[in-house]
Amino acid sequence: MAKNKSFSWILLHGAAIATATLSLLTGLRIATLSSAPVAAIEELLPQGQVHSAHFFSAAILTLVAILYCSRHAGQLLCGRLPDFTRMHYQKAIIWLGSLVLLISLGSGWLLFSGWGQSAQLRTWHFTCALALGAYIFLHGGVYFVRSGRRALTRILLPAASPLARSFFVVALLSTIILFGWQALTARSPYQLLVAAMPLATPIHIDGIADEKAWTESTALAVNTDGGANFIDGQTRVSLRALHNGEEIYFHITWQDPTESLVHLPLKKTASGWQVQQQGFHHFDETRYYEDKFALLLSDSCTFGAAGTAHLGRKPLEGKPANWHGKGYHYSDTGQVHDLWHWKAVRTNDMYLADDNHIGAPYRVRPGSRRYTAGYLQDGKESGSYVMNWHWYKPGAVVPKRIPGSPDMLTPYRNLRSDADWVIPWFDYQPYSVEEDSYPPGTLMPSVIYSSNRFEGDRADVRARAQWQDGYWSMEMVRRLDTGSPLDIAIDSGVCLWVSAFDRAQVAHTRHTRAIRLALETTK
Amino acid sequence: MKFRALLVFVLPAVILVAAALYSAPQQVPQPHHLTKIDGSGKALSAWSGPWSCVCDDRTQLLWEVKTDDEGIHDGYWTYSWYQYEQGVANSGDCYFEKARCDTEDLIRHTNRQKLCGAENWRLPTTDELQSLVIADPIPGHPAVDTDYFPRTKRGDYWTSDGNQPLQGVYQYLKRGSRAINFINGDAVTIPYRNAAFVRLVADNSNACHKARQ
Repeated sequence: MAKNKSFSWILLHGAAIATATLSLLTGLRIATLSSAPVAAIEELLPQGQVHSAHFFSAAILTLVAILYCSRHAGQLLCGRLPDFTRMHYQKAIIWLGSLVLLISLGSGWLLFSGWGQSAQLRTWHFTCALALGAYIFLHGGVYFVRSGRRALTRILLPAASPLARSFFVVALLSTIILFGWQALTARSPYQLLVAAMPLATPIHIDGIADEKAWTESTALAVNTDGGANFIDGQTRVSLRALHNGEEIYFHITWQDPTESLVHLPLKKTASGWQVQQQGFHHFDETRYYEDKFALLLSDSCTFGAAGTAHLGRKPLEGKPANWHGKGYHYSDTGQVHDLWHWKAVRTNDMYLADDNHIGAPYRVRPGSRRYTAGYLQDGKESGSYVMNWHWYKPGAVVPKRIPGSPDMLTPYRNLRSDADWVIPWFDYQPYSVEEDSYPPGTLMPSVIYSSNRFEGDRADVRARAQWQDGYWSMEMVRRLDTGSPLDIAIDSGVCLWVSAFDRAQVAHTRHTRAIRLALETTK
Repeated sequence: MKFRALLVFVLPAVILVAAALYSAPQQVPQPHHLTKIDGSGKALSAWSGPWSCVCDDRTQLLWEVKTDDEGIHDGYWTYSWYQYEQGVANSGDCYFEKARCDTEDLIRHTNRQKLCGAENWRLPTTDELQSLVIADPIPGHPAVDTDYFPRTKRGDYWTSDGNQPLQGVYQYLKRGSRAINFINGDAVTIPYRNAAFVRLVADNSNACHKARQ
């Protein structure tokens, strides 16, 4: 009968089992954001703030892998080469599993670092994760089937081991993990230098960064992926930032092969006007939607968008499930995080980004079909865009307004039209059945500007973007400190995250490492 | 050994298949004291629309819901306070009157329209209107349940409580009416001539009676 294993071996093996399982489950949960087959089994996966758990377990698993490798490297150096010709099943599986684990860890850390083509790396990482899942069954499962409880006894009950040595091993590994994790979280953010410029230097917010001041700033490029559309769901975002002691300016560019301006258009059918959509009813439209871009700013640099990303269909006990199964943004601590949400149709012609925030989960609103947890818009005094229907239904809707003359719909003959898909309120008239003689097939925009722009807290961020040759170029500006309790005062140390949306309602790209701002001293 | 093989390989496979076949339960609205009522007086479910009135089960009052169709009930229209030949006529702004608008104009048009089946529309009392104020509005939004009362403005809404003494800068105008400020839900007394918003109310309505059944 085989002898029980040593305490050190059991410690490492146990840590490997626990962290590999945790990494696998949390990783699959993250994969539900962009993989429909994995989303199909989402009921089996952990919910909530899984990003930190995933990285923490991966860090420990990496340490375990390094220790295993060191041990094997020592054996190899001593000339004890494995005999691959006479290797039995378990040895072969362990070697294969080790190889899969190494690729999985390597691709994971490359993804974490933001290096290279993230979509391809993520495919490798995902494939290895599935192989690791299979390995758990082919290695541990087969052991258990063959040996039963004896296999468990052997890997759980250590052979006699000196207590002091065991304590030393545990203390040493705990210290390495603790300090390693602290170093990882503290040093992981990218740094974006916010160059200082004189207060009198004008920057025209038009989406064209042709001012000289921009050339004196330093660009930071961040790979983001996991979104809907784009090329393989990924886009590389480039950021520059300036400040003049009063305001902060951003110039952001990102690749998007298509300029998507057709936002939930209305189409006349035999049964009336119909909203063109394929996922809007479940708040996850990915076809008939405008391009968007979001910046999240926070005093916290915690993984997972300052710890606000809580994945899963129902990550909040006692609150409604979300319709798309992706999760919610909210703050566990009640801390307010700022969210600037630029929208290519709904806010771009207002020269604004929608100033929103993420706070503690808001109470359930029985009259609202969509619960958004902590994600809410800042208040406004007046001005808005509204959708051109009285009440949304997947079937027919009644428009609020129609044009006085059919000529006004001529630019919207097809969905590929690059016309401005926005209706100024007073260019159209209130809808009446008598005036509606439009033939089936007629297309009409659904976004109505009832004023030129918002007024109030929601209008704190000015923004304008232009699309050219497959890239969006956007300029943004906001006061460093607006004084609003729903905004973050911007200073060195504030972290931000960026997300791009390619004709997608919620399926945005993302990146792992925060971007920490470093404001240059004012000139 | 066969049992262990079933436990290790077959059971997880069955769980995986079951999870893939499982459908999340259909979401339904939570019970609430407010009920949407359509223009003809029929109750609607919480996630249906459009609706013209709201019935409050706590008070059995039927409330007007504002629109953005430039019709009688448009939320942007303002009114001076005028009823029973008291107050200031025609000092608000609306599109549906040739002259400017006062509270009596809206009441007259709404009763003639039989909005939600009611013909006894009137200005609410201070207590009635304050019953719509919520303590925890979305930050920066009006202090009312905006999912039931959309297009509510962060401003003053008239009550029926006229003949109130004016204070401070308005003291020289002597008398005014109470209004509820939907920024924070406070009651204020303002001059009759002010252009404020209005949300009408009706009691003993068939719509609320039916909605309760």
